[in-house]
Amino acid sequence: MGLGASIAQMGAATLAVARETGGTGVLLGRVLRRLFPPRFDGRELRRCLLRMGYQSLSIMVATAFVVGVILVIQAFVFVDRYGMRSQLGYGAGFVTIRELGPVLLALMFSGRVGAYTAAELGTMTVTDQVDGLRCLAIDPISYLVVPRFIAMVVSLMALTVIGNAVALVSASIMGDIIMEVDQHTFWTSLFVMIGPSDVFLSVIKSALFGAIIAVNSCYFGLSTTGGAPGVGVSVNRTVVSSAVAVFVVDFFSTFVLG
Amino acid sequence: MIDLLDIHVSHDGVPALCGLSLHVGKGALLGIIGPGGSGKSTLCRVVAGLVHADSGVAIVNGVDYSTASRRELQAAQRQIGVQFQNDALFEHMTVLDNVCYPLTRLTTLDRPAIEGRAREHIAMVGLAGFEDRLPNRLSGGQRRRVALARACVTDPPILLCDDPTAGLDPVTSRQILDMIAGIRYQSGSTVLVVSSDVVGLFSVSTRIALVWGGKVLEEETTAGFKQSRREEVVRFLDDARLPFAGWSWD
Repeated sequence: MGLGASIAQMGAATLAVARETGGTGVLLGRVLRRLFPPRFDGRELRRCLLRMGYQSLSIMVATAFVVGVILVIQAFVFVDRYGMRSQLGYGAGFVTIRELGPVLLALMFSGRVGAYTAAELGTMTVTDQVDGLRCLAIDPISYLVVPRFIAMVVSLMALTVIGNAVALVSASIMGDIIMEVDQHTFWTSLFVMIGPSDVFLSVIKSALFGAIIAVNSCYFGLSTTGGAPGVGVSVNRTVVSSAVAVFVVDFFSTFVLG
Repeated sequence: MIDLLDIHVSHDGVPALCGLSLHVGKGALLGIIGPGGSGKSTLCRVVAGLVHADSGVAIVNGVDYSTASRRELQAAQRQIGVQFQNDALFEHMTVLDNVCYPLTRLTTLDRPAIEGRAREHIAMVGLAGFEDRLPNRLSGGQRRRVALARACVTDPPILLCDDPTAGLDPVTSRQILDMIAGIRYQSGSTVLVVSSDVVGLFSVSTRIALVWGGKVLEEETTAGFKQSRREEVVRFLDDARLPFAGWSWD
């Protein structure tokens, strides 16, 4: 490939990223405008909360449980080498609450709920259902996007709090089994060193992650073209862009909020 | 009722309508024919207010889309029933809920009245007994009928049907077109029908328009259209004429 073609390809990719970033930004603005004062469909919100929050609970809890177990197994060598068993609770809590919990659960949420939302809205778009709503003078942003946005933010916040708790319980059980760190030592070191600000940071991060997954999935879903293959493309773009956005937002939120 | 003047529309730089002009009088049933990709569906979308013209004037039911505010456009859209090519049925709703939905959103009727009217329209399209089914349990022809019932349940002054016969067998296709003609006869709506069932369309329409290359090349009464000697019309009708021997318009 020649230099000119490479530059053209890079330029096209840059333009595509700029277009998608701009598109999601515009959509976010439209969503926020409809939140104050609230203009959305309450029934659709309840349906979304049930599907995105409640029905995701089991898979999120399972993921969090495994995260806690793996965390202790990985930490075992170092904790044992430096004789830091009494600090296992603090270490597990710090990593889980501030970083691993929100990020891993957001990635899981993006794969399950974000992909589903992109596929659902993409299918509605290519089968003219979204235009059908417009013909009934129903604003698709208020009816489809805002309820999904609220449901994803609220669900991911709640699931992250629950997931963090489950991960710590599994870490304490695993610590007891393989390192013989008793429950009292584990939880004492955790509660002494981890404060409400850490939990607050975790919740803020999960809210931001929920918002970007929601905006990404709705944007790619509603901009789907090209029939059924286009839906697949939208789902793929949603998962990839959400994962990248989660890491970027994680970096900045950690940098700013500490 | 519908006046389009020198409408230009392009999608991602590709022209879809190139100076299209069309007048449809109140109560007419205009059949729109033309080769694939000629702009028939885009024409329907312009009339429905779903696609904004890059230039030109679109006046539908007295509302000029190019100068209308969002509120005025929405008010105009409420006066138009649209049957989409893909049915656009809400898959999580039953047949009854799909047909009730426009009434729920656009009228102040109470639930029993809404359901009563929806059931009437479901029966009118021959689907009585199917009210509780989900759309994915229906055949293609049945889905079209539900879409038709939903499009006309509010008795809109304008009804747009974007290829309601696509992919259907000839018998079902003719039944759907007859239903559309019946609806127009009963309600007095102005109806635009895009269809690839040319013969069926000629049998129910009051006028026929040929869309070709993003323009209306010919717009005539059905009788006048058959007499047209315009090259594109003759070519299109020759291509569309049916593959059995001895076939004639009469």
